[in-house]
Amino acid sequence: MKKKSISIAFLLMLVFGLLAVQGAVAQRTRLIFMTAGDVNMLALGQNVLAPGFMAENPGVQVTTIHTGPGNAGSQTIFEKLLAEKKANRPVSDIDVALVHEIFMKWAMDEDLLQPYAQKANTWKYVTSPFAKTTMGVNVEGYVMPLFQSQTAIAYNPDYVKNPPKSYAELKEWVKKNPGKFGYNGIKGGASGVAFVMGWVYAETGKYQKYAVTGPFEKSEVDSWEPVFKELKEFNKNIVITAGNVGTLDALNRGEIWMGPVWVDMFFTFMNEGKMDPKIKLALPEPGMPGQPMFFVIPKNAPNPELSRKFIEYVTSPKVQADEIVRRFNWYPGIDGSALKGSIPQDIYDKIYHDVTPADLQKKGLAFPLADYYSAILEAYERWAQ
Amino acid sequence: MTSKGSRALGERKLPPYIPLLFPAVAFMVLMYVWPFISSVIQSFLVEDQPSLANYVKVWELYRKDIVFTFAVTLFNTALTGVVAVMFSVYFRLRQNRISALLSAIFKLPIFIPFVVVSQMMNSFLAPHGLLNTALAQLGIVNLEKPLQLFNFTGLSFGFAWKQIPFAVLIIHGGFQMIDNSYIEAARSVGAKMPSIILRVLVPMNKSSIIVALVLVYSQIIGTFTLPYMLIGGKVPTTITVDIAHRVNYFRDFGVANALGVCSYIMVLFTAAYYLRSKIREARQEVSG
Repeated sequence: MKKKSISIAFLLMLVFGLLAVQGAVAQRTRLIFMTAGDVNMLALGQNVLAPGFMAENPGVQVTTIHTGPGNAGSQTIFEKLLAEKKANRPVSDIDVALVHEIFMKWAMDEDLLQPYAQKANTWKYVTSPFAKTTMGVNVEGYVMPLFQSQTAIAYNPDYVKNPPKSYAELKEWVKKNPGKFGYNGIKGGASGVAFVMGWVYAETGKYQKYAVTGPFEKSEVDSWEPVFKELKEFNKNIVITAGNVGTLDALNRGEIWMGPVWVDMFFTFMNEGKMDPKIKLALPEPGMPGQPMFFVIPKNAPNPELSRKFIEYVTSPKVQADEIVRRFNWYPGIDGSALKGSIPQDIYDKIYHDVTPADLQKKGLAFPLADYYSAILEAYERWAQ
Repeated sequence: MTSKGSRALGERKLPPYIPLLFPAVAFMVLMYVWPFISSVIQSFLVEDQPSLANYVKVWELYRKDIVFTFAVTLFNTALTGVVAVMFSVYFRLRQNRISALLSAIFKLPIFIPFVVVSQMMNSFLAPHGLLNTALAQLGIVNLEKPLQLFNFTGLSFGFAWKQIPFAVLIIHGGFQMIDNSYIEAARSVGAKMPSIILRVLVPMNKSSIIVALVLVYSQIIGTFTLPYMLIGGKVPTTITVDIAHRVNYFRDFGVANALGVCSYIMVLFTAAYYLRSKIREARQEVSG
């Protein structure tokens, strides 16, 4: 009997406690942060950005909503905003969204966003060319990059004394060292895809047209047959690894001496002791693609001032240095030189030692425009395999 | 008029089994039959117009992969069948502590998810993975030229590792049902072990062997993680990897569905065989 009354009292306390918490939450201003990307983006929002921002802004409750990896995740956010527009909703449910490049192409066409970036107090740090045009769309003022994730060639200096400075040199190297270069094809993750995009840029010399200006022309696709036949030859002397992680593992185990990797994954492996610390990075001419993720504010966001404040917080040199660079190993969304005082010199040297900020400016390319992107992947299947 | 109408209404009264069946049937139709039909329909649509373009693309780009998938599946089903029967016979005929222990250990892989198996095989079979380094220690393999196992062979090893125990579970169960007297009778007229297995045990257990093989076959066709994590972007690869590629990179559900239809056909073929043999069995039971 006594036990029972204790447990009832406990239950009542729990219920009232929950109600109290609920009430406190209700009084706060809600900020809905919707993010595309892999589960690491959810973790970033829930565990890092939201608590950090709420600590500085006690009256605000940040809720992170995750829509899923890849372009499909961005598409979900786009469809949500488009549905709101079509239903003539005066106020959006979303305060801030974090999206991929392709989203900008869709959203700018439908006029779903508001320009805010130039008003942000961190705008002065934004130097990335991606923040001006992305996939051929003018986005200046509508976006702030959260980070830049970049691909590069990782190599083992024990065996590779002079890493190839260009795709042409890489071709020669592979002929001399068969079976020692590895990438994951195009079906095993985007580091292989990025390598192939770089190959097409290098062979055609048409980066500007394919990735920046357009327009999409079918005749371009037809002209690629020799480009991919060449890649087919190249593929005879290399190994296809089992995915993004497969390339990193193969490098670490010494099965291959060189291969394209995502830089952030590379450094994460390094920090976790899963990568031979000798392995280094290089970015060959004409460059390899990377991609940013962008903060955007919907046109009719409920609290545009607060949304901007949140983005200013995340793009501040301190958060960029501590969280984006040190914790998640991405390149910062803002200019690397702005971080110089904010991160210890050894970390700064580590991430910018092999590939310098100047390299990134010059050789950190974009992925092709959506139509070319698909066409290149399909051309690979048609001619290179 | 009215009486006729009311009688008609009375006749239309639902038989009691309809409302009872409705939830289950509705669920099946909604969750299985409809998606299946719509997948087939969508494979014939390009931008909402009827077209064979998806199949043309499948033929142009993926026919190698279809053949590869079929080859991997057939080979591994056969391998699983033979090895699983051998193990089951052993467990059936030698009932001692060792076989009991072995059969207990053998149940473990059934409970390990494919994604874990894939990761395990990935590090076990890698060129400088556990297997190759161990063999190199014994001087059998040169690490400069290790065994390359991220291909048909490695894939088969992975499938066999995972599927044989599952098949043993089913087949061994069937063998347990066979009374010892049959085996003893065969022995007493001078049958040797191979003929006891092939002419007594296997024929008497045919139905559970077929069930096991059909299940193993359709599981292998549908497995994504193992081929994705083991051979990934290599050529050829399996249909499931291609389907993921079409959806992830192109959002091209047309070609993905067309590839899906190819795998349905491969599976239907065995399902039809399985159903036919079940029906024949049922008929025999009725007539017998």
